[in-house]
Amino acid sequence: MSEILIIGAGPAGLSGAIACAQHGLKVTIIDEFIKPGGRLLGQLHQEPSGEWWNGMKEAEKLINETKTLPIDIRCGVSVYNIERHDADWYVYTNEGVFESPYVLIATGAAEYAIPVPGWTLPGVMSIGASQVMTNVHRVQVGKKGIIIGANVLAFAILNELQMAGINIERVVLPAESPISKKESNPEEVLKILTEAGHLAPSALLRNGSKLMKIDSLRRMALKYFPKGGMKINGTPLQLKKAAIEIVGNEKVEGVKLATIDSQGNIISGTEKLYEADFVCIAGGLYPLAELAAVAGCPFKYIPQLGGHVPIHSKNMETPIPGMFVAGNITGIESGKIAMAQGTVAGLAIAMASQSNAKIDEQLQQALQKVEEVRTKSPIQFIPEIAEGRLAMERVWEKESNRGELERVIF
Amino acid sequence: MHKDNTIIICRCEEVTYSTLQETAKLHQCSARELKLRTRAGMGFCGGRTCRPILDRVIEDFIPNTTADAIPLKYQPPVRAVTFGTVGGSND
Repeated sequence: MSEILIIGAGPAGLSGAIACAQHGLKVTIIDEFIKPGGRLLGQLHQEPSGEWWNGMKEAEKLINETKTLPIDIRCGVSVYNIERHDADWYVYTNEGVFESPYVLIATGAAEYAIPVPGWTLPGVMSIGASQVMTNVHRVQVGKKGIIIGANVLAFAILNELQMAGINIERVVLPAESPISKKESNPEEVLKILTEAGHLAPSALLRNGSKLMKIDSLRRMALKYFPKGGMKINGTPLQLKKAAIEIVGNEKVEGVKLATIDSQGNIISGTEKLYEADFVCIAGGLYPLAELAAVAGCPFKYIPQLGGHVPIHSKNMETPIPGMFVAGNITGIESGKIAMAQGTVAGLAIAMASQSNAKIDEQLQQALQKVEEVRTKSPIQFIPEIAEGRLAMERVWEKESNRGELERVIF
Repeated sequence: MHKDNTIIICRCEEVTYSTLQETAKLHQCSARELKLRTRAGMGFCGGRTCRPILDRVIEDFIPNTTADAIPLKYQPPVRAVTFGTVGGSND
């Protein structure tokens, strides 16, 4: 039996493991994928400083570090249930039951889908799937692709696909429907893109992003937005085209697009079929918190964190005894933040099991580091992330003041 | 959006938007009842693809879905496993 079980071998899980193993705790990490690293494995981009962020190398560094410590990484292990009896967690997997007094849930995020008529055809995938195929498995996704959905995640991955020589013909919006809301409205989309920092699709948006925060200027920009789209390294972003339907017999053969106005209303008679052999749907990310929910953790709905998030403290503890969380399960942010949060969680667990001044000092430093990384972060998947974090801090305070939080039923 | 609302929401169980809409209207049901009546979100993937969309759709159909509670409860098993694994025989 290990002293701590970590679910998820991504940036948060690996960093958490290293932090608590450095204080002598025996750690087991389990992960569903065939190799450790999580979403780091797919990441490759240039930072505004000019430096490259090579996620695969970052993952390798972390994995090498785990090898010098009492950390056991088990891949290909899926958790289907988690329960607490007396002082221990029982984690049920396809490889048997794992027992541990502490558990760190670092399961990351999942992608929002945007249903578009024809989205069940082979050749339609989430944008994240195209990233995994390209950067992890090194498989060519197709010859001619269309991305539906314009957000920060879409542009980050578009850039990676372009570097790999994968041809993306255009980026368009999903057509307005009861299921797609903000993501179908060019004005709303432009508002989000102005927050995208160096990943913004053109110099105009990048340098003019301050100006573009002014509503009237944004409206004007949309009015004069080029019909053919704005080029992002050769791929046009077409904010005034919407995907009506993905068509094909046995697999994707094309996408029916229509011209839309600034509010996303379809202009009739403008429908036209564009050829494609694959389609990536980019709906953004949400915290993957199913295990925390099964364990009985209370949740808070905070859109600025990406949706329903398990209630947690700054130290990454939940109201459930012995259960900690870190990484995107607590809110959608970059891998660097996940690493910093993982360290906090690892140290908090070390504190919980053997409180001493030295660990506490490291914990305080780790907490500061999270703030530092967040402030320095060139992009945010959610522009209002800091507000979301603050909202969660208030929730935790309120719940703590309700009393009895200290290791009792919530 | 197709005029006839035949767009599939739950891919595993092939449940369309109009089926969800009609069922919600006819039975004035809770999120859970809507799921059980249509099987939306109950397929092989365990709702990992359509759950957030179902949550959205349900909020549109059924008012007073409380904000903080997750509309559809998560229940084990959260991954597809064999009866053998759950039962402990591990064949």
